[in-house]
Amino acid sequence: MRLALVAAVLGTPFQIALGQQPPSAPPAMPPGMSGMPGMGPDSSKTPPAASPAPTTAMPGMAGMSGGAMAMPIPMPKGMPMVPGLIGLTPPVASFLPGAGVDPMKLPVVKPTEVARLKNGDTLDLTAMLLRRTIKGRTFVMYGYNGQTPGPLIRVPQNATIIVRFHNRIDLPSSVHWHGVRLDNRYDGAPGVTQAEVRPGDSFEYRVHFPDAGVYWYHPHVREDIEQAMGLFGNMIVDSPDPDYYSPANREQALVFDDLLVNADTLIPFGKEGPDFALMGRVGSVELVNGESRDTLRAKTGEVVRFYLTNVASSRTFNISFGDAPMKVLASDVSRFEREQRVSSVVMAPAERYIVEVRFEHPGRYALVNAVQAINHFAGEFDPEVDTVGIVTVDSAPATPDFGSDFAALRANAAVSRDIDRYRPYFTKPADKHFTLTVDVSALPLATVQFMDVDTAYYAPVEWVDAMPDMNWLSTSKQVHWAIRDDATGKENMDVDWHAAQGSIVKVQIFNDPKSFHPMQHPMHLHGQRMLVVARDGVPNRDLVWKDTVIIPVGSTVDLLIDASNPGAWMMHCHIAEHLGSGMMTILHVDPAAGPPAK
Amino acid sequence: MRGQITRRLRGSRSRARLSVVALVVGLLGPSGPIGPYDIPLYGTPKAPAANGHGRLVYADSPFGVALTKDGHTVYDIQITAAALPAPSSLGAYSTYVAWAATSDLTQWTRLGSVVNGNSIVGPVDLNKFLLVVTAESDSTSATHAGPTVLHGISPSALLQKFLTKPAFHGIAD
Repeated sequence: MRLALVAAVLGTPFQIALGQQPPSAPPAMPPGMSGMPGMGPDSSKTPPAASPAPTTAMPGMAGMSGGAMAMPIPMPKGMPMVPGLIGLTPPVASFLPGAGVDPMKLPVVKPTEVARLKNGDTLDLTAMLLRRTIKGRTFVMYGYNGQTPGPLIRVPQNATIIVRFHNRIDLPSSVHWHGVRLDNRYDGAPGVTQAEVRPGDSFEYRVHFPDAGVYWYHPHVREDIEQAMGLFGNMIVDSPDPDYYSPANREQALVFDDLLVNADTLIPFGKEGPDFALMGRVGSVELVNGESRDTLRAKTGEVVRFYLTNVASSRTFNISFGDAPMKVLASDVSRFEREQRVSSVVMAPAERYIVEVRFEHPGRYALVNAVQAINHFAGEFDPEVDTVGIVTVDSAPATPDFGSDFAALRANAAVSRDIDRYRPYFTKPADKHFTLTVDVSALPLATVQFMDVDTAYYAPVEWVDAMPDMNWLSTSKQVHWAIRDDATGKENMDVDWHAAQGSIVKVQIFNDPKSFHPMQHPMHLHGQRMLVVARDGVPNRDLVWKDTVIIPVGSTVDLLIDASNPGAWMMHCHIAEHLGSGMMTILHVDPAAGPPAK
Repeated sequence: MRGQITRRLRGSRSRARLSVVALVVGLLGPSGPIGPYDIPLYGTPKAPAANGHGRLVYADSPFGVALTKDGHTVYDIQITAAALPAPSSLGAYSTYVAWAATSDLTQWTRLGSVVNGNSIVGPVDLNKFLLVVTAESDSTSATHAGPTVLHGISPSALLQKFLTKPAFHGIAD
């Protein structure tokens, strides 16, 4: 009886009329390099091009039989498309960067250069179109200063630099200095702290770096497009203390990303707003420093300090270096109280970790992302292992030998002392309770029906896009992700949230597992630092200052915010499509005397 | 908006939805829908009055979400048990021990001691598993030997299989 029931539900023809294209229709793109209209804080509402374009449909899909497909999304191996979704396309026009531009006239992407800057220095940072070749396929994409990742900005702690940003892409943009507790007016959040920087325009940022560590910069306009197309770069802030981290022979920044392609084509983006609104856009190719298979060299016994950043729109990584031992030193805004030995690094979008790895023996070490995906159709877990790089270790010994330093796990007393003044507040009642949830409307009926019956189990973290067909067809027109204030019922930008400068704010966030599509959310708070003092009621035993925290489905986190930096600061999910579907609010940190300086 | 969708479905397929709801309720048992971390525990004929509940919490990790290198989530389990009889009433036993077993019962991992009230056991890093509490003579035993008094399944064991459904015949690999 149950089999027949499910078949009847899933086999129902759709009742929602969406545009369809014949399977052989080529991708259509709007004219690029056009001026853009204004944009409020809801970045999903910004149309990315002035002229409309037809919805794109492309042929071919792995795992399918028959030829009546208008589905450009690569499906996981062995995963069928839900029958009722075949032939549907998202209710948005399509967009790709640089429409009408001859790729051969664009500059080829350059490797990342290090921009070592000192206090008072100026950097020109230009967002531009460029040409990238990934797995033998050439695409028109974006980059900063012709590089992907963009220039690695390296500054001493407490430096202030000037960055003259020039927008030379075909969308409005801005630069957000992720994790940096800088002056609010330079936070780069259009609609909150500045107007968007229109194509052809410039904006001057003054960026002050109060905290040592690794940070990153990216646009805060249509992140689902601009970030995914290559606009991101790292910042490393050096402590004046030469012994700040345990010693290493070498340093290396690794930026983890992914890109969604099908055959020779980038999967277009939603023009009026993000597609893939349910799960975010999960790429089919995983990238490290812009490459599909990064290669590194090391010497035997070498200790390498890696600065790891996840810039993907939605994917959470689980990174390891073969059997090489590893210890984690720091995360977003500080070192840990105590270093820990780890076998892998779990890194949600926008999170950073600093680890040290010792390559003890000559040979090849695979840089691997390994997760347990779920095959919703088979009802089984499906191990997924992607090798995203290779570290080749030569037989020559590394000098000096930091083996004994590496073997020791440090306790960072300075971090604990800094946190001590916050400990009395760990157990105080929360000042604010938020629930993360979602409302949907007008999704394809088959999606709604499938989601309704596939509710016996929700994975706390979705490691891959197990249902890319349903995901692709969901857009910000139909999906409304919400940060809901439990006290008032208000959501997102309607939440009235204030804190006095210098106060210590406790926030409890619950990720509702009973919403239409529960999913993890990497929540990011701009311009402040926070501690994850408890997760699901279990106190955190090794604290670190964070700006982004992953909240799995059904989980509750208790955050303690050091509200020291005045201004209007966004808090949002860092899955770009969730942000573009409304999942953002504002924390107003009110200065002790009067409004924030303009 | 969610209500609108529900109403639309009710209008067209109310009987089908009721059947689905009844089926899911039947699957989950009398305690109703459970969360992604909940494990209802049921007594056995050896201890019919025993009952309890397990709750998965992430094992200690600097990343918040604890994973093994190959991506298995690592949990501790908070067990709340009630009406467990004295172990000695079941034979030559002195304690209760929680185990995680694979669904084919070929691999058992000792998780720790369980008492009436609250216990924390673990860690467990299996994708799907059975949670079993047995009476044992030794809390450090590496193998289970005594009678089972409580059992339940991990929430992930509720994953449903759709590939065998007629709607997908002919299109799956």
